[in-house]
Amino acid sequence: MKISVWGDELAAWVVAAQLSAFGNEVQLCAGEVWGRSEAGKSIYPSHKSISAEPGLMELLREGYDSGRLRAVGAEEALSAPVHWLAMAPDQLDQAVELVQRIAQAGVRPCLVVNQSNFGIGASDRLQASLDQVAGQAVVCLPDTLQEGSALDKFSQPDALLVGCEDEAARRWLMSLLRPFSGSVRQLQLMTRREAEFTKFAVTGMLALRLGYINELANLADLLGVDIEVVRQGMATDERIGSHYLAPGCGFGGQHFTQYIEGLAELLSEKRRSSLLETVLAENLRQMELPFRKLWQHYDCDLKGRTVAIWGLAFKPGVASIDSAPALRTIEALLAQGARVRLHDPEALPEVEKRYGAHPQIDYSRDAYEAVEDADAMLLLTEWPEYWSPDFERLAQRMASPVIVDGRNVYDPGLVRELGFAYYGIGRL
Amino acid sequence: MNRVCGSNELSTDSCWQVLSTHAEALKPRHLKELLAEKGRFEALSFRHEGLLLDLSRQRIVPETLKRLMELAEASELPRWIEALFAGEPVNDTEKRPALHTALRLPQNASLQLSGQDLVPDVHANLARMAEMVTQLHLRQWRGYTGEPIDTVVNIGVGGSDLGPVMACRALADFQPEAAQGLNIHFVSSMDGSQLAGLLDRLNPATTLFIVSSKSFTTIDTLANAETARRWLAEASGIADEVLVRRHFVAVTASPEKAAQWGVPQDNQLHFWDWTGGRYSMWSTIGFPIALKIGMDNFREMLAGAHSMDEHFRTAPLGDNLAVLLAMVGVWNINLLDYHAHAILPYDGRLAHLPAYLEQLEMESNGKSVRRDGSLSERRTCPVLWGEVGPNAQHAFYQLLHQGTEAVMSDFVVPVRRYEARSETLQRQHQLALANCLAQARVLALGDAALDAEPASPWQQYSGNQPSTVLLLDELSPRTFGALIALYEHKVFVQAVIWGINPFDQWGVELGKKMATRMLEVLGAAGSDEGMDLPTTGLLAEIRRLRSGEA
Repeated sequence: MKISVWGDELAAWVVAAQLSAFGNEVQLCAGEVWGRSEAGKSIYPSHKSISAEPGLMELLREGYDSGRLRAVGAEEALSAPVHWLAMAPDQLDQAVELVQRIAQAGVRPCLVVNQSNFGIGASDRLQASLDQVAGQAVVCLPDTLQEGSALDKFSQPDALLVGCEDEAARRWLMSLLRPFSGSVRQLQLMTRREAEFTKFAVTGMLALRLGYINELANLADLLGVDIEVVRQGMATDERIGSHYLAPGCGFGGQHFTQYIEGLAELLSEKRRSSLLETVLAENLRQMELPFRKLWQHYDCDLKGRTVAIWGLAFKPGVASIDSAPALRTIEALLAQGARVRLHDPEALPEVEKRYGAHPQIDYSRDAYEAVEDADAMLLLTEWPEYWSPDFERLAQRMASPVIVDGRNVYDPGLVRELGFAYYGIGRL
Repeated sequence: MNRVCGSNELSTDSCWQVLSTHAEALKPRHLKELLAEKGRFEALSFRHEGLLLDLSRQRIVPETLKRLMELAEASELPRWIEALFAGEPVNDTEKRPALHTALRLPQNASLQLSGQDLVPDVHANLARMAEMVTQLHLRQWRGYTGEPIDTVVNIGVGGSDLGPVMACRALADFQPEAAQGLNIHFVSSMDGSQLAGLLDRLNPATTLFIVSSKSFTTIDTLANAETARRWLAEASGIADEVLVRRHFVAVTASPEKAAQWGVPQDNQLHFWDWTGGRYSMWSTIGFPIALKIGMDNFREMLAGAHSMDEHFRTAPLGDNLAVLLAMVGVWNINLLDYHAHAILPYDGRLAHLPAYLEQLEMESNGKSVRRDGSLSERRTCPVLWGEVGPNAQHAFYQLLHQGTEAVMSDFVVPVRRYEARSETLQRQHQLALANCLAQARVLALGDAALDAEPASPWQQYSGNQPSTVLLLDELSPRTFGALIALYEHKVFVQAVIWGINPFDQWGVELGKKMATRMLEVLGAAGSDEGMDLPTTGLLAEIRRLRSGEA
């Protein structure tokens, strides 16, 4: 099958790599597709956080080598019978324009798979430009990929939600997904709007859980209760389970945050509800929690202090710093006249790109180098390599043994026994 | 004081004499007659910096202005203006200059005072203020928990309150996005009634107090500041030194006093004893204004005022807005016998303009002893009051139209408003503008504004009440700065004509002293010695009620 993939999002690249691996002829029109021909070249993701996705680059390369994956100009791409849209949430206008051009190209029947997070009603808007009677259909396939395991999530999904209002289109989509649908335990068909709403609802629910457990952790802090114990207790209730219940210094990530912002706006506009706005506002406060603990430890004065930060990416396994708690922490520390020494296994170049050479910032390639002479170490991303450090070495290198554990990865008792002042999130 | 004046070589006395004769001739002429004269608007309206000063509804003819300018010349106004700007000690009773104009000088200007250039110091403090504004707007000013400050309470009274309150309200539309998360409150009253209500609602961890006091001895302000400090201590349990460092900024001309109170150097913003309190919103006293509208807009406000300064300093008297506004006031007060002055802004954003001008005019010129120590033979500052015009229409306009008191009025109204907003809001402004013009017209013309005769004696309007219309192209930081500077200079011009010092306020000192003594007496029974009998009676009654006796 000849498929054109549009967009520069993670989903676009994953779909292109996976579909071409299974015999489809995939035409890429990623990046700046409008008006610029990239025909003949092998193009790759423009975001570094996407190219860092495990296995993705290899699979793309294989696709190009096999000849089944090709970058083509917009005109050629428009003539394909299947179009896969995985565009950024703020590109709805471009998507509408694109679908109008697909309509003009006149291929019938034709399938448009919308995997972009444009919000509720967007797929219907796209359909409006097409001739459904003549077999031009839009289906909505919500993007459920997770950074760090995106290829697996696509190739072995547990469940598939499909927003589709046309039987022929459904059959067409399922035939495309056949190589990947073996593991599907649940396939649910719904309208396009319902599919978009479901995507919204799931994301919002996750944010609410995180917001709730963080709120509880902060309360536990004030009441002298260990949130870790409470959390394990909560997880024994099967109605609740243990997912998305780890308190920490806030959630980040471009898509997650953008998406919740979209939903919060919708709730606020249509319902005057501040439920998710509160979650977002509290999450921003939560990102500064490690800073606040440090601020109080040093009697509200951090001028001239040296602070090491371990972990800058918004979560382990990615190089992305989009809406990462580390950014707010760095900015707060800089504003107070502190010196920061930064380490991250993957995201350091991203941070360096953002702040450049800065008199108050040191970029360290080595985690132990970062804590040299530091008055405190803040752990903000729970990369595996940070879980069991050589505490003795840490204590020797640091000017003052102070640890603020923004992800609750250390055992407070043990760390304190080793002579550190320890602050967790809701830990005793 | 019979100095020789201008080219006519007339003394001020003879200028007054000429004016008096002119006034007698003009008095019988009703405004409805004057308003019918051709070319009147062109001859009696003046423009500068987005402001139109329309004097055509005053009981004057073009010749009146000529005569008034002769009096200004005879009073050596040009020399006084020069002295004001040059930093001569025009505040002679306190032996210092009054250099509010220096606060608005651009960075590349220079002004020597006792061999020192003031401008670098002025701009250094503005720069320090800008740093604080940036830190607060970036939400990087942290309270004792490390949370960003999101609420600012300005504690100050008089000049440390009225100017910032007025400007924050007037220019709220110009609030930059960064300032939108910051709530600003004002607390002035010494009895703590504003503060008590506020503290119930505020979060101590995220509240910053600005303590604004030129002398840092103002009892009203320090009493409020002490209550705020205690509130923070009780809420936080944190060391006082840390709390004051993170939650208090002092704006003062007395750095030592502020330091004694506990505010460290780094948290102080300064101005100088050559800035009068009621002329101080251009200095770091304007910190809350800068927080509200951002530093760029604050500088625009200064630029608007500076433009008016330059106009006042250089324009010929007969084209000089401040001089014209002042001299027409002198005409009304001293020659036509008006002793009440209503300030009527037709724009809710200027709601605090009347209160501001009450202080500016009455504290400056509410005096009867002249610079040379002699008693003034002429009346000086009238009673000023006012209200947002459309609201005042439902309150005291009855008196303006049909009362027995003669009142002169200033109408202040912007032409353009709500241009980026809804059509219905634009229509609302249109409504206000229409009311403003209609009221000025009816005050002047009376019944003549109608086609028909009034139906009953109670429906008669005699008219002939003079008013000035100040038309602003739009209300912006720039035109607002120019407007306030215009009134400042107007006050100065009138003070020159009356021979008084507008920059002192000895009249408010005695009451303060008496209150200190009274506080001691209230605290201790049987110490009423030296009190007058009615006061002794009141003290006894207060003590009886306090002790719970029925």
